[in-house]
Amino acid sequence: MKIVVIVRQTPDTEAKITANSSGNGIDENELKWILNPFDEFAVEEAVKIKEETGAEVVVLGIGPDRTLETIRTAMAMGGDSAIHIKDESFGSTDSYATAKLIAYKIKAMGDVDLILAGKKWIDEESGQVPIQVAAELDIPQATIATKVDVNEAAKTVKVQSEIEGGQRILELNFPALVTCERGLNEPRYASLPGIMKAKKKPLEEVTLDSIGLEELGLTKENLGIGGSRYSVDNIDIPVINRSLNVLKGGSSDMVEASEVQAAAENLTKLLREEAKII
Amino acid sequence: MSEIWVLVDTTADGKIRNVTFEVLTAAAKLKEKNSATVAAVYLGESAGSIEAELGKYGADKVYKIESPALKDFNPSAYASALSEVIKKYNPDIILGGNTMQNQDFLPRVSAKTSGGLVLDAVDVDISASSTLAIKRYRYSGKSISGMTFHDIKPMMATIRPNAFKAIEKSGAAEVVSESPEVPSQENVKILETKLVPKDRPELTEADKIVSGGRGVASTENFKLIFDIADSIGAGAGASRAAVDSGYVPYEMQVGQTGKVVAPNLYIAVGISGSVQHYAGMGSSKVIVAINKDPDAPIFQKCDYGICGDLFEVLPALTEEFKKLT
Ligand SMILES: Cc1cc2nc3c(=O)[nH]c(=O)nc-3n(C[C@H](O)[C@H](O)[C@H](O)COP(=O)(O)OP(=O)(O)OC[C@H]3O[C@@H](n4cnc5c(N)ncnc54)[C@H](O)[C@@H]3O)c2cc1C
Ligand SMILES: Nc1ncnc2c1ncn2[C@@H]1O[C@H](COP(=O)(O)O)[C@@H](O)[C@H]1O
Repeated sequence: MKIVVIVRQTPDTEAKITANSSGNGIDENELKWILNPFDEFAVEEAVKIKEETGAEVVVLGIGPDRTLETIRTAMAMGGDSAIHIKDESFGSTDSYATAKLIAYKIKAMGDVDLILAGKKWIDEESGQVPIQVAAELDIPQATIATKVDVNEAAKTVKVQSEIEGGQRILELNFPALVTCERGLNEPRYASLPGIMKAKKKPLEEVTLDSIGLEELGLTKENLGIGGSRYSVDNIDIPVINRSLNVLKGGSSDMVEASEVQAAAENLTKLLREEAKII
Repeated sequence: MSEIWVLVDTTADGKIRNVTFEVLTAAAKLKEKNSATVAAVYLGESAGSIEAELGKYGADKVYKIESPALKDFNPSAYASALSEVIKKYNPDIILGGNTMQNQDFLPRVSAKTSGGLVLDAVDVDISASSTLAIKRYRYSGKSISGMTFHDIKPMMATIRPNAFKAIEKSGAAEVVSESPEVPSQENVKILETKLVPKDRPELTEADKIVSGGRGVASTENFKLIFDIADSIGAGAGASRAAVDSGYVPYEMQVGQTGKVVAPNLYIAVGISGSVQHYAGMGSSKVIVAINKDPDAPIFQKCDYGICGDLFEVLPALTEEFKKLT
């Protein structure tokens, strides 16, 4: 059984985002990059399945050179080998083109049973890429999974998916795609020996020129920030501009027990009469 | 411009979700700039007579795409049915609420029709080149970007609940029935659907939210959060620290790796105001903080607050809220 985990790199969640000089993207200098937190659940699940069934786990990532570090993190967690589709412009390529490239590579591999991905990339709140991969490959999907059970003999996977107001249990035939949600598992840390070993694991680097873009209905212009479906005109970094009207105590910063009633009345009045919100 | 479509989102018991009316209002704004027909589009087994309600919110037309194969939601079947009807009528723009269902199948529609899709828009407009323009948050609420579609069809977007206020007009909609061929979905079986009845509004749609953090200190104490939430009909949320400590389930988590919410009122109780938490609620209209630490970062990111012990403040504030009518 072969599993592909698709992983993406994302700026550290603590990172302060600033606009680049042309104002249509972010300044990537000095950003620290991490494995997208939802992809950690996907990698962990793949490795768990591998431990149970002996499946082979291939890590697949598209992105500029720096993506390799994230791919290695996933291999250090237990991935067997990796594919890095490389191009500097991929960092900001839209989901449509990204999905086409991923699907192209998976199709070329030929024998993939299960594709695991994160529920969304935290930067974009999008979650389009995996679903578009499933559509390109014409295979079933189960998104936002909180339980995954593989039945290798039957070639099926049973998935508990979160839906509006509850859950749903689906059974998908291989090949299938599943996107992973927090709660599915507890991702392991990449250990130091694991990181050392990851450097020696097989890595296939795929360049843009080696892919027949035309075959995929894409051109070079479809990649990168210009994108093909839409362009990003501007990025605003909203400054936090709030009124900071914090009620404090008479003798110290903290409202004392004897002052609580007055503070509660005061806040209620402000919310009603000034903010007109309750 | 020909047609602007608005997907009709229904609840499990068949009621039209409020977000549908909000999106119809957004479509009406586009129609003003670019005379088009606004059509509501229902997908499912059987629509019933929804046209009166949809007409009232500005739908000129209602497409009822009905088939027994659309009884249970299946992303591939829904995408296939909608794509068929798109090919027939060629709408310019398709809008829908940013609901889990739309997020689950519209990416497939985009792949099938080569249309473009942007999820979770907070504003829509017609661009100078007559295409769809969109505003949306990126980098987890840390930035907001303006995007313009290139000249493709269909241009699709989902709209965040509460981003538009639904405005009732008067009007009647003409009904068009469609029953596209839906390929059978043999490679997926629905084994079970469990719906948990909710006694509070869904976080992503709630108009008001009260969230508790590590300061709330236990599962039992979260009753204080639920009580104050119920006193104003608010949803109840939590910080990751509260979820990780096991006080409440993950589905209540607000933040960069939880739910992104944008209510009119957000009350953060015993929450320090980390970057990751703010990423999930920073676009709320009014933010209120209750915290005992005067130096908590949340006090630099709120509109109102009380610096005090939540165990004293919450009961008093709940009583005050209950007096409101
Ligand atoms: C990759 C990543 C993703 C993350 N995603 C999220 C996310 O989605 N959502 C999220 O919330 N966090 C997220 N975090 C965690 C985030 O960094 C913070 O750790 C978390 O938000 C802290 O939660 P808190 O404010 O409840 O706890 P704390 O920071 O511990 O704050 C507790 C607050 O309660 C106050 N307090 C204590 N007792 C009382 C009392 N009796 N009365 C009044 N006030 C009191 C304290 O003064 C303090 O300010 C993420 C972190 C990482 C690294
Ligand atoms: N460039 C990429 N390379 C590999 N996987 C990706 C890429 N972009 C997105 N994904 C996968 O798709 C998921 C959702 O991403 P998105 O659709 O961008 O929100 C991520 O969590 C990854 O698993």
